[in-house]
Amino acid sequence: MRPYCVLLVAVSAFAQSAATYDGSRQVKLTGVVTKIDWANPRAFFFVDVKDAAGTVANWAVEFGNPLDLEKDGWTRNSLRIGDTVNVEGVPAREPRSQAFAKSVTLAKTGKKLFVAAPKKPAVAAVHEPTPRWPDGQVRLGPPPSKKGYWKAPNATALVDSTAGKIAMNDEGLLKNLSNVDRVAPFQPWAKAVYEYRQRTLLKDDPLARCLPPGGPRQFQMPNGLQFIEQRELGRILVLLGGADRNWRVIYTDGRPQGQADEVVRGYYGNSVGKWEKDTLVVDVVGFNEHFWFANGGLPHTEALHLTERFTRPDLGTLKYEVTVDDPRTYTRPWNGGWNMQWVPNEEIQEYFCEENVEATLSGKESYK
Amino acid sequence: MAMCAPVFSQQGHPLTGTWTGDWGATSTQRNQVIFVMNWDGKNITGLINPGPDSIPIASVFLDPTTWTVRIEADTKTKVHIFAEGKLEDLGSYHRIIKGSWTQGSTKGDFKITRT
Repeated sequence: MRPYCVLLVAVSAFAQSAATYDGSRQVKLTGVVTKIDWANPRAFFFVDVKDAAGTVANWAVEFGNPLDLEKDGWTRNSLRIGDTVNVEGVPAREPRSQAFAKSVTLAKTGKKLFVAAPKKPAVAAVHEPTPRWPDGQVRLGPPPSKKGYWKAPNATALVDSTAGKIAMNDEGLLKNLSNVDRVAPFQPWAKAVYEYRQRTLLKDDPLARCLPPGGPRQFQMPNGLQFIEQRELGRILVLLGGADRNWRVIYTDGRPQGQADEVVRGYYGNSVGKWEKDTLVVDVVGFNEHFWFANGGLPHTEALHLTERFTRPDLGTLKYEVTVDDPRTYTRPWNGGWNMQWVPNEEIQEYFCEENVEATLSGKESYK
Repeated sequence: MAMCAPVFSQQGHPLTGTWTGDWGATSTQRNQVIFVMNWDGKNITGLINPGPDSIPIASVFLDPTTWTVRIEADTKTKVHIFAEGKLEDLGSYHRIIKGSWTQGSTKGDFKITRT
């Protein structure tokens, strides 16, 4: 018997994209594994599947993110070329032989290699005092000689705080499109763009092409982030676990914010921060228009101005609040936010987005 | 072998940016045209064929419920331009506007693509 290392693995942190896969349908496949593509962020294996007429099609089966799979005990040898497997999954929306696996079973033994589990990161609440520097200022990073990072936002979409609860999925897709007007105070064109992105299931999301998640979206990423406080240099670095090791600089050396037209426009803008008692207040301008600044497809222009407030009421909680002011897109400034949880005693995991994997599979144009 | 050409995506106002294409009365009589448009929060402003002989755009109307675009301008010789088209493939970087073009007494069609 072959040494299958993992018999049951929960795939915890990478659900199928609604733009790519049709969650309302199921597909069952049986075939021989012909290739395994252990690529980040999306691992695939390929199986030759014979239909009733005897025609063989080579299906691409996506089964998660390699980092999450490895964390759950999966190894490169858990599945081998030549294995016959039974796959239950969700088929692609487009007419191509592709599916997202919900379960994979070895035909020979009947043992399940994995079963996809709901995407809820297991981060235990940490109720300890807020760590501080010797001068009493709040630390956003780990306590001295400790490790840890921030993850698991308790909301995965940015909505106007006056809107109340709006049902959305983890990608920011509204359960009910009639709630569009409650999400944010859109200008008419922005509402139409947002609706279009929602109706098309976020298929044009630049993040799917590995473009950086600027603005509040960096705090919605499933792989978390880390603050590096370089007080002697007057800056704080925000390192993202996802988004190809992107980082953002928040200057805390007292420099004034430049005018938006003077700064070099980028995905993360130009950030200057200052501490107001226990809250870090960050002013950000200078964004480009090459990205979506929150899950769900909220539009913005170069006029986007964010005011972010970071508060750490205890070791395990980071409260993120943001005021969005973009008069070319929204009729008034509006606020939103969420809490993130501290993952103690762990290093942030680097998540390498494989550029254009979606474009390669679908034959669509790529983005850079 | 398939090649993917990298481009910079523009995710803000759908008309902002540079558009190139042509207009003409027939399929063989075409005139190259370049539009540069910008959304300032209240109006869309811009130029047709930027350069020494550029034509300031007098008005741009966008109906986001149908993505209908109407553009009006006057040449230096006071010939009126009226173009009306539909914005198509909104989510694509290379979205297009195509429709009818009237310049003075000449009627034709146009198609411009976001570059």
